[in-house]
Amino acid sequence: MDLTRAEEAILNGEEGEGRQKAMELVTALGKIYGAESLVDITSAHLSGASYKTIGDGGLKYLEDMVAGGAKVSVPSTLNPVGMDRTRWREMHVTEAFAQKQLRIIDLYGSMGIKTTCSCTPYTGANVPKLGDHVAWAESSALSFVNSFIGARTNREGGPGALAAAILGKTANYGLHLDKNRKPTVVIDADIDGSVFSYSLLGQAVGMSIGTGVPYFKGIKPQVEEAKALSAAMAASGSIALYHAEGTTPEAGNFDVSDLEVIHIGEKELKAAYDKLNVADDVELIAIGCPHLTEKEMHQIASFLKGKKKVRKDVEIWFCTSAEIRDKCPDDVRIMEEFGPVLADTCMVVAPIEGSFSRTGTNSAKAGNYLPTLCSQKAMCRDISALLGAVM
Amino acid sequence: MRFEGRMISPGKAKGEVLVIPEPLSFLGGVDGATGDVRVGNGGNVAGKVLVFPRGKGSTVGSFVMYDLMVHGKQPAAVINESAETIVATGAVISSIPMIDSIPSIGIFQNGDVATVDADTGAVEIEGVTMRESVSSALFDGERILMLKRPEKCHSFPGRWSLVAGRVEEGEDPEDTARREIMEETRISVGKPDKRLPPVYTREGSTLWKVYPFLFKVKDVEPVLNEENEAFKWVSPEDVPSVVHVDGTPEVVSRLLN
Repeated sequence: MDLTRAEEAILNGEEGEGRQKAMELVTALGKIYGAESLVDITSAHLSGASYKTIGDGGLKYLEDMVAGGAKVSVPSTLNPVGMDRTRWREMHVTEAFAQKQLRIIDLYGSMGIKTTCSCTPYTGANVPKLGDHVAWAESSALSFVNSFIGARTNREGGPGALAAAILGKTANYGLHLDKNRKPTVVIDADIDGSVFSYSLLGQAVGMSIGTGVPYFKGIKPQVEEAKALSAAMAASGSIALYHAEGTTPEAGNFDVSDLEVIHIGEKELKAAYDKLNVADDVELIAIGCPHLTEKEMHQIASFLKGKKKVRKDVEIWFCTSAEIRDKCPDDVRIMEEFGPVLADTCMVVAPIEGSFSRTGTNSAKAGNYLPTLCSQKAMCRDISALLGAVM
Repeated sequence: MRFEGRMISPGKAKGEVLVIPEPLSFLGGVDGATGDVRVGNGGNVAGKVLVFPRGKGSTVGSFVMYDLMVHGKQPAAVINESAETIVATGAVISSIPMIDSIPSIGIFQNGDVATVDADTGAVEIEGVTMRESVSSALFDGERILMLKRPEKCHSFPGRWSLVAGRVEEGEDPEDTARREIMEETRISVGKPDKRLPPVYTREGSTLWKVYPFLFKVKDVEPVLNEENEAFKWVSPEDVPSVVHVDGTPEVVSRLLN
């Protein structure tokens, strides 16, 4: 790999051990994926925030990074953590878990990372621009900024994204390069246009192609729809970039006339739905994966207004960022009649397996991860069907 | 015997080899506090030169490697055929020397002592010598010719093999293949219909570097010399059930697919 003299100096330890380690990691990953050089980044978004997912090994790693004086050099945000910082008891989280989780948040904070702890930082805390090179972890968020904004990132892992944030650079390969952003297949989508239909569409596409760069015809996603689509395809497959004709910023750059066309319609959506629906009754309904936007908060509140929850045996959680929660006090008041509006956490990274065994969600992403990461039987329906069943 | 790979994580180390023959997920596959391996034939990674094809599974695996380091149970070095993000990340953050792009994990066996110089990407296995050979599948459209080695044969005695033989000093393996087929079966063949990159098989302190070839033949009847004591034509799916030289079924299946 071609390193500049300044980059070589970091690799040789001239700027301290912390930056040397970061450079070792970025260059090792670059070597594996055939990067010829490094590229400057404008922001980073880090995963590996929940104590549940990183464990004691991850906690010690962060302690050691901080003790070594690690600091990020570009604006950086953090993924959701394993609990709401103040309302964790309502989530049945233990004191021991909470102490370690709060410590992890502090450690990230002391490296200069904004601990807003959301999987949708692109709605406020961290918004890249078209053409920006960035280093993002969190599969749904990085797919959103690649696709809907036209920023450029690979699927970074937690430590890799942190190393990139420390250096302000990442290895220049994969989706940072024009040639890898070309569509590989056309998806002719026939859906009803609801946000939930975008979740099922993403699930079906991930199941159908697994990986690649799909080019959609027949859809016009806005923020909420693109969020659901990005999350679903990154969970059911490993798709990190897509284009939507007439909507996403890079879609017009490509001639797709020679590509294979895959039709996704009623039959494929039904198969996707069946895959995500194993449970027929639930103990927890968790909504907000990825985190609810302001618009979704308004929609849910207006759906719930004047109604009453009758199923006392079912808990309901709404998940969003603290930022959005604070912006919507009227919506929060209505939603709290049904269940807590939790900030900076979600059902996937919280230790729900100790308290629940069957969980309902409107998210295809959660539908994929609840069984594997949380030992849950999952139910996946649209919001009105999920909440309608407890009224 | 020395092999050149590629540096993934810097450093130097020496240790006893532990081979895990399958792709490894550190999360679930290795206990971060004790180093015990929970998959394959078990063992413990602490202080070992840990050899496996590649990483797989959860990205949390990187932190399991860090956990091993915290507990003093980390491997001395890691060797992969092809590195991926999870294990590479774990090795770098845990300061474990790591190389990849070695020809095959088949060059190692448990108990070898290996010295890894990750800074140059090299690994040296003590007391192992390499010999080159060819292994040719003669395929008549339905069956593969297999030959039985005599009991007094030095390598793999009494087992069934393809038409095999040592590459002589300076000889092109393709010429070796034709020469051995002629010597051992009196069958004359032309250009190989397929060849594979060399495969590696260990037999004690000998490392066999084997060049596989496929020759399609028609209406031929082998005439054996003293190097083999019997022949039989075997359908490809029956090769695994014959008492064979290590690696034969894999080679046959790759040659025919």
